[in-house]
Amino acid sequence: MVELALAAPRVRPRLGRDDWLMGGGLVALALYLAVTLLLPLALMLAKSAQDQHGVFIGLANFEAYFSNPALSGAIGNSVGVAALSTLIVIGLAFGYAYALHRSCIPFKGLFRLVAMLPLLAPSLLPAIALVYLFGNQGALKGWLFGASIYGPIGIIIGSVFWTFPHALIIISTALATADARLYEASESLGASRWRTFTVITLSGARYGLISAIFVVFTLIITDFGVPKVIGGQFNMLATDIYKQVVGQQNFQMGAVVSLLLLLPALVAFFVERWAQRRQISALSSRAVPYQPKPRRARDGILLALVCLVAAMILGILGMAAFASLAKLWPYDLTLSLRHYDFSSTDGGSWASYGNSIRLALYTAVFGSLLVFIGAYLVEKSRIAQPLRTATHLLALIPMAVPGMVLGLAYIFFFNAPGNPLNFLYGSMALLVMATIAHFYTVSHLTALTALKQLDPEVESVSAALKTPFYRTFWRVTTPLCLPAILDIAIYFFINAMTTVSAVVFLYSPDTTLASVAVLNMDDAGDTAPAAAMAMLIVCTSAAVRLLHAGLSRWLHQRTQGWRRR
Amino acid sequence: MTVPYLRIRNVTKRFGQFTALDDVSIDIQRGEFVCFLGPSGCGKTTLLRAISGLDIQTHGVVEQDGRDISALPPAQRDFGIVFQSYALFQNLTVAGNIAYGLENRKQPKAEIQKRVKELLELIGLPDSGHKYPGQLSGGQQQRVALARALAVSPGLLLLDEPLSALDAKVRGHLRDEIKTLQRRLGITTIMITHDQEEAISMADRIVVMRDGRIEQIGTPLEIYHQPASLFVAEFIGAMNLVPAMPLRHGEIQLGTARLACATDGYAPGTAVRAAVRPEDIVCTGKVNGHANSFQAEVRDMEFMGPFFWLSLGGGALGEQRLRAQLPSQRARELGLQANEAMHLHIPAEHIRLFPQSAGHG
Repeated sequence: MVELALAAPRVRPRLGRDDWLMGGGLVALALYLAVTLLLPLALMLAKSAQDQHGVFIGLANFEAYFSNPALSGAIGNSVGVAALSTLIVIGLAFGYAYALHRSCIPFKGLFRLVAMLPLLAPSLLPAIALVYLFGNQGALKGWLFGASIYGPIGIIIGSVFWTFPHALIIISTALATADARLYEASESLGASRWRTFTVITLSGARYGLISAIFVVFTLIITDFGVPKVIGGQFNMLATDIYKQVVGQQNFQMGAVVSLLLLLPALVAFFVERWAQRRQISALSSRAVPYQPKPRRARDGILLALVCLVAAMILGILGMAAFASLAKLWPYDLTLSLRHYDFSSTDGGSWASYGNSIRLALYTAVFGSLLVFIGAYLVEKSRIAQPLRTATHLLALIPMAVPGMVLGLAYIFFFNAPGNPLNFLYGSMALLVMATIAHFYTVSHLTALTALKQLDPEVESVSAALKTPFYRTFWRVTTPLCLPAILDIAIYFFINAMTTVSAVVFLYSPDTTLASVAVLNMDDAGDTAPAAAMAMLIVCTSAAVRLLHAGLSRWLHQRTQGWRRR
Repeated sequence: MTVPYLRIRNVTKRFGQFTALDDVSIDIQRGEFVCFLGPSGCGKTTLLRAISGLDIQTHGVVEQDGRDISALPPAQRDFGIVFQSYALFQNLTVAGNIAYGLENRKQPKAEIQKRVKELLELIGLPDSGHKYPGQLSGGQQQRVALARALAVSPGLLLLDEPLSALDAKVRGHLRDEIKTLQRRLGITTIMITHDQEEAISMADRIVVMRDGRIEQIGTPLEIYHQPASLFVAEFIGAMNLVPAMPLRHGEIQLGTARLACATDGYAPGTAVRAAVRPEDIVCTGKVNGHANSFQAEVRDMEFMGPFFWLSLGGGALGEQRLRAQLPSQRARELGLQANEAMHLHIPAEHIRLFPQSAGHG
């Protein structure tokens, strides 16, 4: 019988119109991701093994790098600063999340809101605020006992500020899902509170903690904004790429540093994926949600901690706001809007703010379209399994690629004379492409999660009813996923507003951006206008966030009819 | 016999090294209700997905109404499908769900509305057209899914465990409804189920499957009373399987009892297993009025309401155990008590023999 089956001709499934369309879409998406991601990165890898004239020289660039202590010293600096900052952020974020989920402190909603504020600002903002607080003319200079804010201290405080919400989100997720039955069991077995805490709370949150540690470490070590503004003479890897490329036009050495920066990001990427998977599988559907009971001493201590952190966040934001409004720091503190008139500075202008808005809008619209359709094709097409897997893997790459590295790779690829896409160089289109690529992974995963929650047989039913897939996509899938699509759009928008790292290499005089303007004005000594521009970004992001919240609520109410009984 | 409506020939499906369907052939007549029955992993879902084109087989032919559809994508085939999960479009109303397939066919609006109304009445939900699926119970949602599948008048209806997600009472009710509807519309129907009761009560014919192969095809009565293999015998209903030995043509020894039954193909002296349904063991009490009888003790009685479960042993059975089903009314007549010796009668035609060892191979 086996021979008979083998002898029969293999059935070659005939492809329908849907299959051709979806297959074509997948190919197009894979090609797009290859061009905007894979090829630039590959070219950068090649550049690191070439000399200035493009001749292959093997590892000579790396040898030169490591034999120069002025350069290689940055590795130790970066790792040390990132490790210390991570330690502080994780400690604070754990305490904060613990207070929000496992205690009875008042005003939880308000504290949650305050903790998320740093997400609205570019990482340059805390650095500028720190200059005003602890710099040479700083308001609280005395608090440092003569130590300088320019250097590791400033970088650490600034990094803690802007990465805090990232850590808080991850740890909150881990702490939010507690099984009350475990705590009851522990209590009835007579375990001490400390033991219950270490055995149940900490171990339940361990994957969340691991995940947060690696995410935060990567964010800090690849960040460019904070060390650029407040790093002084203290060399970090991310600022070194900028110095090598923009300062010395040494692209090859820039490529070498980029590759070094890619390493921790890659490790973090894999650890993070591993931890995420564990965190999900640790949940049981039968869990009884844990309800904290008031306990005076614990709640008091946690409230103090939460107030302190919230005060620091508000203080730094408030300092930046005040600095942008004070007429002439520190001599004339009357409020005025003169720093918001950027005509007297050469680093930025209202035009760059307009450009940023355009970039953010284009990125939000085209990015969410591309990501959602792409995730749909990866998740729902029935054919070309290898192509789907390949596309999915391509979509995961950006998470492991620091913005500086992506930006530099884009220079290599799109500025290459022989590249037919060369015309894009310096254009708004390229900035949009870079920003979409930079923030692709999180958006892709959000879209996938939303799509996976839909019944997988909806497409089968639609095919049986002889309805083309795009009709069902438009009439059923998209409406059901609209909240997720909105989330993706806002994520793209705010990141496009605040990002500096990838775009700092790619703008042209016609396409200067607000975030880059902050950097350039600060570089030129126009610190107050820089603070003003940073505050503009914060206000815009906040306004868009509010708009998003309103839109989501409206959508939710309108669709109440069919959402969960 | 007429040309079958659905002709499945030598269908094989492999996933890498794993063979999910192994050389399966079935003919299904127009208007027939066929159940694919088997434990999970037996290949019944794989076969359904091959018939629908959702996962096309690696080898073999599927013909529908004389047309070779083996390699066609689902959209080019002619079937309606209902899933265990309903797979309703959550954001469309019930009427919108039912009209979904019709709207694609460029029919006039009035005609679509008329058809939707017709179908809503057919499934007994005439006033629910404006509701959303989330506002209906599970049974109601499944009926809407059925109406959606039937709206476009497909030639073949595929039901993928349509009742498994529902609770017992709703399931029984919907079972009757689906059956009645199918008879009325005369639509050729294939239903997948792992529930033998469902299959027996609904199907014209049952296809019992195991490990990607067909174990037996037959009417519910054939499957129940003449199981073709030990697997079918054990899988369908309750069954006693006891060691026995053919003595000569037409007679076996069970314990020390000698019983007449068909022994075709088994040489005297070979070890076999005798299969007897519990309800086919007749208890005649103290009197022995039959051939094919033996004596044994009632070791245990379990009252189930309409009947007793009897555990029989000792006497002619020796160490062997038999379970018998005795109607309560009969037990009352006999004044049955535990630990009493009884005369038991098994009609020869209700004893079937199976090989001792090869059964699970």
